[in-house]
Amino acid sequence: MIGLSAELLIFVALMLLGYGFGSLIERRHRKSIIRRELELNRLPAIASRRPPEDRPYAQQLVSGSVVIGSDYFKTFLSGLINLFGGRVTPFESLIDRARREAILRLKEEARDIGASHVFNVKYETARIATGRVPALEVLAYGTALIPAADISRSTHDTSQA
Amino acid sequence: MVQYENRQPAEDINVTRTHPLKTFAIYALSALILVVLLAVLMQFFGGFIAKRVPFSVETRVTEAVGIELGSRDAPPELVSYLNELGLRLLPYIDMPEGMSVDIHYDKENVFNAFATLGGNLMFYRGLLSVLPHENALAMVMAHEIAHVLHRDPAASLGGGVATALVLAGLTGNAGTGPASGVLSRAGMVTGMQFTRRMEVAADEVAVAAVGGLYGHTEGAADLFLAIAAQRSAGSDETSDDSPGLFERFASTHPLDTDRIDAIKTSAKKYGLLTEGATTPLPDDFQRWLAAN
Repeated sequence: MIGLSAELLIFVALMLLGYGFGSLIERRHRKSIIRRELELNRLPAIASRRPPEDRPYAQQLVSGSVVIGSDYFKTFLSGLINLFGGRVTPFESLIDRARREAILRLKEEARDIGASHVFNVKYETARIATGRVPALEVLAYGTALIPAADISRSTHDTSQA
Repeated sequence: MVQYENRQPAEDINVTRTHPLKTFAIYALSALILVVLLAVLMQFFGGFIAKRVPFSVETRVTEAVGIELGSRDAPPELVSYLNELGLRLLPYIDMPEGMSVDIHYDKENVFNAFATLGGNLMFYRGLLSVLPHENALAMVMAHEIAHVLHRDPAASLGGGVATALVLAGLTGNAGTGPASGVLSRAGMVTGMQFTRRMEVAADEVAVAAVGGLYGHTEGAADLFLAIAAQRSAGSDETSDDSPGLFERFASTHPLDTDRIDAIKTSAKKYGLLTEGATTPLPDDFQRWLAAN
């Protein structure tokens, strides 16, 4: 049987590892998200269901999906917060990153097929069961509008994919 | 024509600016205070209520449950010797009317003795075989009888059940995940402080009883010397030579060295002699223990 001290040591090690690696990965991910968002802001992803009618567009479904795992520290802290209620802030940052990453992946797909806009963007989330430390899936999907002049290129590109 | 654009979102709308370690410190401290308070309250009230159950009811319930204590083929001479020693100690323990003890022997080589519900005491061969003389045995026995006197088995059960129920209700249904294990541990460690107080109180009664029976407390501490020797001989428990702070806090029993000191203090308190001749165990004692 493991002694209490050993259990405490394992717990502290898991918390330190979770906090250390979790923070590092989160910082790097957030940096990457901001850089790629600045690049892709020129390709708007819009929630509206009414696309512009200024010119003919080809339409194509695009999606971006990401699965982000929590770390031990975040999961432990969210458990403590659940006792009292309030904002579960450790998971807010996780979900924020997942949502933005999913949109970025959607935009990257839209960019690759020559789209100028993505309309009717929606999100779906799902919890992925991975034991006691949860993981979260965010799926973003929408309708990519490809200006008429780019339709042939888009068709060619997608057939290669 | 409508212009569509995506602007860079502000970073602090969906994500808090509060440092996660600050959030952790606040919630961990609050949760710890909550769990410790609940555990203390439940130990206290659970124990309080359990102690108010009449001893006769406790005995009847224990009999009704019908758990057989001790080995069936325990040497009858050994069992009657243990019970006779118990009877000799009782006048010095101030047992109230209606309370009694029943002493059992188990042939397992377990280094332990305990008092349980209904005034039942259990002695294992593993412990008896290392006791050097009757005074050391009387010390263990008086200690366990003191637990019965203080109604400690009932209080432990009542307090333990109440604490476990409340902690399970608190951590089991709130979606606390990995935090529930740590919080339950914190509650259990809090409960151990109660157990340790019971041990200290039982030791004090035992010293007075041994001093009363033999006229001195010589050899009473030999039990703890035997325990210390047993531990350093390869038990998985931490040796008392260098106990970690956490072990010291989480242990149900006081340290052997502390108990030896406490025996001296109690002897002084009751004006007992600390030196005298020890009484040997019966000649056939080792033979009884060796019987299969």
